[in-house]
Formats: sequence, structure tokens, C-alpha cells
Amino acid sequence: MVTQYSMKRGWTEFLEANKKAILERWLDCALALFPEKMGYSTPIGTVFSGALEKILSSLGKRENDCKEALDDVTRILAVQNFPPSKALSIFLEPKLILHDIMMKTTVADTLMQEAFNSRLDALTLEAFDSYMRHREKIYQLKVEEGSRRMYMALRRAEA
Amino acid sequence: MSKYAPKLSELKKEFDEKPSVLKGDYSAQEWWDRPVEFRDGNWCFPGKQEVLADLGFANPRKWAATDEDWQLPADWQKTISEGLQSRLKKYRSLKLFLDSCVRCGACADKCHFFLGTGDPKNMPVLRAELLRSVYRNDFPLVEKILKGFSGSRKLTKAVIKEWHMYFNQCTECRRCSVFCPFGIDTAEITMLVRELLNLIGVNNNWILAPVSNCNRTGNHLGIEPHTFVQNINSLVEDIGDLTGVEVEPTFNRKGAEVLFITPSGDVFGDPGVYTMMGYLLLFHHIGLDYTISTYASEGGNFGMFTSNDMMKKLNAKMYHEAKRLGVKWLLGGECGHMWRVVHQYMNTMNGPADFLEVPVSPITGTRFSNAAATKMVHIAEFTADLIHHKKLKLDPKRNDHLRTTFHDSCNVARGMGMFEEPRSILRNVCNSFHEMAEDTIREKTFCCGSGSGLNAEEYMDIRMRGGFPRANAVKQVKDRHKVNSLVTICAIDRASLPPLMNYWNPGVSVYGLHELVGNALVMQGEKKRTTDLRENTMAGFEDGGDDDE
Ligand code: SF4
Ligand code: SF4
Repeated sequence: MVTQYSMKRGWTEFLEANKKAILERWLDCALALFPEKMGYSTPIGTVFSGALEKILSSLGKRENDCKEALDDVTRILAVQNFPPSKALSIFLEPKLILHDIMMKTTVADTLMQEAFNSRLDALTLEAFDSYMRHREKIYQLKVEEGSRRMYMALRRAEA
Repeated sequence: MSKYAPKLSELKKEFDEKPSVLKGDYSAQEWWDRPVEFRDGNWCFPGKQEVLADLGFANPRKWAATDEDWQLPADWQKTISEGLQSRLKKYRSLKLFLDSCVRCGACADKCHFFLGTGDPKNMPVLRAELLRSVYRNDFPLVEKILKGFSGSRKLTKAVIKEWHMYFNQCTECRRCSVFCPFGIDTAEITMLVRELLNLIGVNNNWILAPVSNCNRTGNHLGIEPHTFVQNINSLVEDIGDLTGVEVEPTFNRKGAEVLFITPSGDVFGDPGVYTMMGYLLLFHHIGLDYTISTYASEGGNFGMFTSNDMMKKLNAKMYHEAKRLGVKWLLGGECGHMWRVVHQYMNTMNGPADFLEVPVSPITGTRFSNAAATKMVHIAEFTADLIHHKKLKLDPKRNDHLRTTFHDSCNVARGMGMFEEPRSILRNVCNSFHEMAEDTIREKTFCCGSGSGLNAEEYMDIRMRGGFPRANAVKQVKDRHKVNSLVTICAIDRASLPPLMNYWNPGVSVYGLHELVGNALVMQGEKKRTTDLRENTMAGFEDGGDDDE
């Protein structure tokens, strides 16, 4: 119990200390998914930057409270022209970033890195669920739109 | 397996040739060499054979954008070249737009489709370049002048595919032109290219079917006169049930003072019908002498997205009907592109409408000299004037269940410069109104992403991308001010913003402005109102609520 606590604390501190560096690189990767790299101040740039920060912060916490931020990102990705595999690859990106940072610092804690990686794996799977929910929503919208358009005709048919 | 999961070959391709074109300095690269890829969700179904036959349009056939061979007519190149040449002579603006761009890039990141996709060909400057590059090749003199400055290319089938892809990812919203130092209007370039494409049968059924219906029956869905009347009469009954007031619209009545024309979506679609109820209540409230035509039963004009001639023909229908009925002037409902047609093109196409009178409000005496040429007044101007002269009895508390924001429809905002009238109405009919960010409203408004006839169901992916900047601005006021109602004055918005909100901002509903007017109007002889026109409970008016002013 005691070791777990200290690892956890070391981990949170590590994340806090390197948050800015991780976030910068992560955001860059995410924005580069688009055919022309998306600007930071564009609507997508702003949403990504806010959401990725929330997701990163939540990685350091015991409770997983980044569902909304995850949704914000996948909602954008789910209607883009690139395949899900490419879209969701951004959630694996921090592994490489973290690895790089760890190599450069003295804190080469494999336990910490493993924990981080497994959190990211879980996150990627969650992102997949969320992505699929948005795809399903698109199909739902098509159906709803059809009946809105025919509102009066349907009303007559039901009467 | 899910139909939108990529095929293995696609995935491999994606990884092999990771898109890297146009990173940085695109002018150095041959961006046009990159083929376009049509797949589910990024193309609209083509015009049906019978629709094309009805309209006498070129090249009716069965085809799909995903086909390798689009079965273009044998002389398609000649048709396009000659079509372009004749239009360059006819429209000086087009030549000016093609010649004067200096590629300053001011427009590049202003298009909602670029902001929603990151696709460089959605930068207005590059979109126009898709035509310009062909124009340069076709017109040697210009090419000589511009040599070394920019590229030119041959007109190939691949170019046609690219045009079809990217001129259908432009909603003709004109946002880019606001930022261009020369006022280059990419929307007009898009209109022209779509017209050229129609000459060789490269088209969109979602646009052409309404055009054909409108041409034959008078409205987009092809609703026949008796059904049209029946629909409005059911709304009259609903109004009776909800308010206890019996409104009495008339149809095709000769000698009425005013002919009222609105997009037909207000007569058959949800939530348009609630806006229609608002109009009917308003006209009853002020005792307007008006009639509705079952022939000119469409304010919208998808001809504008098809060809100049078609736009002219559909617009003329409204004026023929006004003449036949012998009305004094026209009052137009909440529509977007109908107003662009009326405000910018009507007078030179079909005007002047000398047989009509310059509109004067019979209630306030205001003379709408801004409509002296077209004789058609926008309902927002008309109502704002009524409110300004205190001619309406309004109880804005009846909209207290709505926390609103206002979406400027592109065509009304940028196409006719109307910004304040709808806002003035909104402030008078509800107590909670919060503006979206300054760079997303008024002349800088972001398009709904589905304008110009792109609101086809099969196009949902593209529409959600293109509508993202608008939705994002709504989200900000939703988060900050708990906004739950997006108010607008355009029928395409009323149809396309509900799915956009449902996707990006669940919990935000879409309203027509006159629906809120209808909620707020205190009608003579009305019964106690507890619900709004949608039969949603009004805050503070539940049983025991106080409705006295
Ligand atoms: S802003 Fe005008 S001149 Fe500048 S690149 Fe765009 S269209 Fe060309
Ligand atoms: S008119 Fe609108 S949609 Fe078309 S290029 Fe300009 S900003 Fe984009």
C-alpha cells in the first residue's frame, strides 16, 4: 500500500512537471492528422488543446474523469475523411512522447511507464467506443432528419 | 462488418501515401495531381433520369460519383470550354474574380469547410484556383501575362471529378469574400462551376429534384395545391386548440393587399411549421389583408444552385402570381437564399416589378423604399417595424423557458446586409438572448454547413464537418450562458441545424424567429396559454401562473 502511494505520487509529480512538454507535442501530432496541419487557434485547434489537456491531467488521477473530453475529440474525428485506425492513433502517441522524455530525464522508471502505457491502452479502447457512438449517431441523424422533413405527411398518415 | 470501416487496401494506401501534399508552400507543388476519392458520406446522389428529363437537362443516365467512368457526353470538353467562354463574356464579375486574386491568403482559413476538414482545396483561394487553372490554360493571353506566377492545367476528366467534389464543399456562403481585400466572391465562382457541370450532367439530385418539383408543382416537395391547403389548415386547427383563437388565412385570393410567400419547409417540416404558426398568429393580430398562393408556394429557389436561367425562372413565378392575383406587394417569410435571389439578382433578372407598388406597411405607414425595385419585404423588417411602432402586444415572459442565441443566416446577413432587425425582434419577444462570439456572427457568421442544396442525408459526414465552426460557437454560449435555443431566420437552417446541434451540442433546439413571436403575442380573445406552439410547458405559466400584463 505504501509503495503504491509513493509511486502514485511520484507519477503525478512527474506528469505535472512534464505536462507542458507532453501536451505540446501531443497537440502537434493531433493537429497534423489533418491534410493541412490545423492551426492552434482554429475551432478544432482550440477544442483539441482543451480536451487533450483534460485527458492528460486525468491520467495522473486515480479516477477517470475525462469522458467528456474524450467525446469532444472523437466527435471531431468520427466525421473526418481518415479511417478510424488513423484517427485513434493519436491516443497511442503519448507513449512515444513519454518514452522520449523519460530517456532525457533521470527518472527512467519502467514501472511508471508501464502504468502510463496501460492507462493509455485503456483510454484508446474507450476512445474507440466513443468514436463508434458518434458514427451511430450520424446514422440516427439521417433517420430523424427524414421524419422531420415529412412531419406533416406523417402526421396525416397517423391521424 | 461496418460499412464505414476502411478496407485493408484503403488502410494500406493511407499509410503508404500519408497525405503530405501542400504542407507549407503549396504553389510549388502540383496539388492538382492528387486524385479525389469519392466514398460513402462525401458525395450526393446524382440527378435521377426522370428529373433531368423533366427539366430538359443534359445527359440523363444512371451513374454514381464512385464510378470510375462518369459517362460524360462525347463532346464534354467543348461544352465546358464554350460554356465558360460565353459566361466570361456575360458576367464581368466572373472575369474580374478570376483575374484579380493576388493570392494574399487572407481568405484561406475563413471557410468553414477548411476549418472543419483541414483540406487545402477547401481554402477559398484554392477552390477558385480549381477553375482558374483551367481558365488560364484555355485563354492564352491571360496565361502569358501570368506566366511564371502560377500554374495552368488541361481540362481532364480528373478535373471534372475534382470540381464535383470541391464545388459541392462550398455552400456559397460568401464568408471568404468578407475578408478578401478585392471582394472576390468565391460563392459566385461556385455557382458558375455548378452551372457548367450541369451542362454535362454532373449534378446532385437533392438540388435538381426540388428544382423540378418547383418548376412543375410550385414547391420543393411537389405538394399539390389541395395538400398544401390541408397542411396549413391543420396548423390553423392547432392554433385554435392552443390559443383558442381562430386565424383565417386565405388562398389564391384576388385583390388581397399582400401576397405572402415563405419556404415550403414551413408548411410541411418540423420545426418549420411552428414558424408558420407564428406568421399566421401575427397576421391575425394585426389584421393584415393577405393571401397565400398554392402555386407560388415556395420561397426557396434551388435554381440558384443550378443555373442562372433556372434561378430566373423560379423567381419569376412569384411575380407572375403577384400579377395574376393583383396584389400590391409581396411579403416574404424567413428564408435564406430566397433573399439573396430577391435582393441581389431579381431586379436585373426579372425586374423591375412595375406592376406592383412600393411596399407600405398598412399598420404603421412605413414605406419600405429599400424594396422599391423588388416590391418584396422581408418579414423580419416588417415585424421589427411593427414592434418599433408598438403595434404588437407581446409578453416576452412566455419565452422564459428558452435561453436563446441567434444564428445569422449567410444569405440574409451577407447577401442582404440585415443584422439588426431580427435581433431587435428577439430582444422584444424573449428575456434571455446571448450573442455568440463576435467573429462568428453578423457579416462574419459561420454557415450551417448545409446551405446551397447540400443538406442531403447521404452527405451527413461532410455537413457535420462543415457545420463544426458554427456548432462550436453555439457550444461556447451553451457552456457560458446555458443557452438551449438556437434561433434563426432561414428554412435550410431550420432543417439542417437540428441534426448539427444534435451531433455537436445535444440539448440545443432550433427555432424560427417568428415561432418565438407567436409564443409571445397576446392575442385578442385568447384562452389562458400554458404551453408554447410546440406544446412545451412555458416556465412560470404552469397552473396558477400569471399571464396578465
Ligand atoms: S483574399 Fe482574395 S486576393 Fe487574397 S487569396 Fe483570397 S481570393 Fe485571392
Ligand atoms: S463561399 Fe463560403 S463555403 Fe464557399 S469558399 Fe467561401 S467561405 Fe467557403
